[in-house]
Amino acid sequence: MDCGTAPGKILAKADGLLPREEAAELAGHLAGCPACAAEDAALSATGPLLRALTGIRAMEKAPALDAMWTRVRAGIGESREARRRSSWIARWVWIPATVAVAILALLFYPARTDRSPFHPSSFDVAVEDVESDVATVALVDKGEDLPRVIWIIEDAKS
Amino acid sequence: MPSPDPRGRPGAPALFFLLLLALLAAGPSEAADTVTVDVGAVYASNEGTSIDPALGTIREKLQSMFNYTSYRMLDRKRRSLSVGETGEFELPDRRTLQATPLPARGNKVRLSIRISEGPRNLLTTTLGLRRGGMVLVGGPPHQAGVLILLISAE
Repeated sequence: MDCGTAPGKILAKADGLLPREEAAELAGHLAGCPACAAEDAALSATGPLLRALTGIRAMEKAPALDAMWTRVRAGIGESREARRRSSWIARWVWIPATVAVAILALLFYPARTDRSPFHPSSFDVAVEDVESDVATVALVDKGEDLPRVIWIIEDAKS
Repeated sequence: MPSPDPRGRPGAPALFFLLLLALLAAGPSEAADTVTVDVGAVYASNEGTSIDPALGTIREKLQSMFNYTSYRMLDRKRRSLSVGETGEFELPDRRTLQATPLPARGNKVRLSIRISEGPRNLLTTTLGLRRGGMVLVGGPPHQAGVLILLISAE
């Protein structure tokens, strides 16, 4: 190794990239070359200074970073809460909708409309009295399974 | 800790639909002293051979009791009446039917019925029938046939 190749090795050593064998070779050269040894010393001192500077900068920025993270976490929390509220509404909105449908169905359900077919359950009818001012009235009974009939025979028309 | 099911509780919709069905099945409740009077006006004639499907199970009865070939429901009205309350049902040809529920016991219904044509009293009768029972009143002429009134009470 000579003073032409040593600076590259010194830089590699400062960066921590110099293989062990070459590091030993460089150490041998530095021991006999004061100029290269001085450059190596200068570069070796620069690394800790840079790390210290980076640490100081990081300490200076820490409160701002903490504040930023607080804001980010708050934003994430708000977003989750909004999604949760939206999900809650979507999940439960059908309850008032169902109640509304039930009320409407009760109001307008056609089970008791005038058009449902007749399905009488009994033809057991007692005629307590019957009379007419203008007609002859006949009671017709054709059996228990048939309805009783009150037949009006209008005297003037029939 | 397990994450909540995003689809929600699957039993809740079923529960509410059951509630809905129960409400629909119950329908509007009626007090025991209320009578629902149902009056259907049927035009019976020998014009054609059609039988109105709205007559339901009563159409076979009509066919077996009368000699008409056609039965058509002209109108049908239903009213809930309290005991002593008179409900008026308009009939074809400017006739009217007035029905008044009378006090009755148990499952029985008593109805005072009056059918009039203007000032003429065609029929006044008092009927006792079971809830869900039916009686027929027929004979008033209408067009080429007659009217048959299907009177039922629930």
